[in-house]
Amino acid sequence: MTESKTITSAPPTHALSVRGLRKRYGDVRAVDGIDLDIRTGEVVALLGPNGAGKSTMIEMLLGLVRPDGGDVRVFDGSPADAITTGRLGAMLQSGGIVDDGKVGELIGLVAGLHRDAMSVAEALETAGIAGLADRIFANLSGGQQQRVRFALAIVGRPELLLLDEPTTGMDVESRAAFWRSMHQQTARGRTVLFATHYIDEADAYADRVVMMRHGKIVADGTAAQIKATVVGRTIRARLADPDPAALASLPGVRDVEIRGDTVVMHCDDSDVTLRELLVATDAHDIEVTSAALEQAVLALADDHQPTETTTEASS
Amino acid sequence: MSLRYLHFDLMRALRNTRVMIFTLVTPLLLFAIFGSGQGDQTIGGISAAAYVMVSMAMFGSMSGALSSGGTIAFERGTGWNRTLRLTPLRSSTYVASKVVLSLLLAVPPLVLVFAAGVVLDDVRLSAAQWFQVAATAWLGALPFAALGIVIGYVATPDSVQPISALTTILVAAFGGLWIPVEQMPGWMHSIAELTPAYWTGLTSRSALTTTGLDTHALWVVLLWTAGLAAIGLRLFRAEAARA
Repeated sequence: MTESKTITSAPPTHALSVRGLRKRYGDVRAVDGIDLDIRTGEVVALLGPNGAGKSTMIEMLLGLVRPDGGDVRVFDGSPADAITTGRLGAMLQSGGIVDDGKVGELIGLVAGLHRDAMSVAEALETAGIAGLADRIFANLSGGQQQRVRFALAIVGRPELLLLDEPTTGMDVESRAAFWRSMHQQTARGRTVLFATHYIDEADAYADRVVMMRHGKIVADGTAAQIKATVVGRTIRARLADPDPAALASLPGVRDVEIRGDTVVMHCDDSDVTLRELLVATDAHDIEVTSAALEQAVLALADDHQPTETTTEASS
Repeated sequence: MSLRYLHFDLMRALRNTRVMIFTLVTPLLLFAIFGSGQGDQTIGGISAAAYVMVSMAMFGSMSGALSSGGTIAFERGTGWNRTLRLTPLRSSTYVASKVVLSLLLAVPPLVLVFAAGVVLDDVRLSAAQWFQVAATAWLGALPFAALGIVIGYVATPDSVQPISALTTILVAAFGGLWIPVEQMPGWMHSIAELTPAYWTGLTSRSALTTTGLDTHALWVVLLWTAGLAAIGLRLFRAEAARA
């Protein structure tokens, strides 16, 4: 009761509020205590490797899977209410479609169930599949099928859109086309949460990236913030006789790897390290690189990455 | 019930050649083979041609009614039901639409086989008899509509075809639709009485006799319907509560 009170007192600008969400399957804690607020108009990427709990999380946000604990509020109501009123639309990873249905029939069916739906033509156009109305779903390519699922998700003009790995099975060209049509949606102030393991998608299309691992949120911020806090910068240099202990004690160094005569140092503050490095050693052929978001994800995804412990210490 | 959902399902059913063959072509063929050339023979006081016509029509309507519920198994298996849960459609509306679809799919075989009876075998009935025969034969689809829902929630996409086909064949063979009950050996007759088809056949054929509508048989049909519908409802609720 107290929990629901705190949530209702939250500003009504939240499209989605999640508190203490938990779900376990046998010994696996698929979702292990998640708190998340998404404001209206935000485009949020839920990023994480396979098995991070993204799908289970989305299924609970939609009310398809009953949580073991915690609370999900969509526009201050239950997910089921938001679906019934057409405010919440969703696209599941491989959401089942009766494959003997024609595309136009499928979209017309779902449009007819909503109060303020797009026309079939508009939904097809928006999803970039204008010519496919008379095709049988089973005869479409994987990418086309995904776009039909997308059309089904948006035809009711939902305010909040949940997408579970929407570009799975699409080739590069369809992915680009898909995100172009997504852009039209978000430009109209639609709130979007999409799960993905494509880092570039999160980087390019989301205002905010929420990273999940082992059922927990391990990072939450803009793509740039995550890159900076998680990985810092990397210095590569050649040294005649590298001494790992001495290098590790340099200021700003998080850890050191020696590969033959090449040294790779992960740094929190590479400027400070560099100043010392040039003075204290014979380092040459020096390269400083900033991490890609991809490395940040790998760091967060893999328990054995050396940066992992420092990540949690620094956050 | 949602007219839009019903329309969607109906279009799919009409495109499904397997269902169309089973519910339209098979009863027509069986009628053409067993119904014609009976001359002036009678079975249980009814002209043999009319007897076979009613039986085969009911066999077709039973297949049609069963096939609608069977699609639930496919749709559960493929995740279509999950997709529908992301729309404002209620699951009770979904099932109600399936029941209405069952009753719709039961109509074409009745019309077709009755027409074949008139054209091929010169079956002549009074307007009142036609009405009563058609109405009771259509009513006879009710228990099978309910049975279809039960099968839809029990079967998997792989098993639903054989289960539905086997049920149809066993019920048609032992329930007196393929072999007239009057010509059955005693042991088979006892089995026949345990099937809903025996009672739906009895109800419908009673329209052709001088004694009039067999109300006892009609009640048994309604009881079968109520029983199967109760099981179907239980299974539906169990499924809905699982999420």
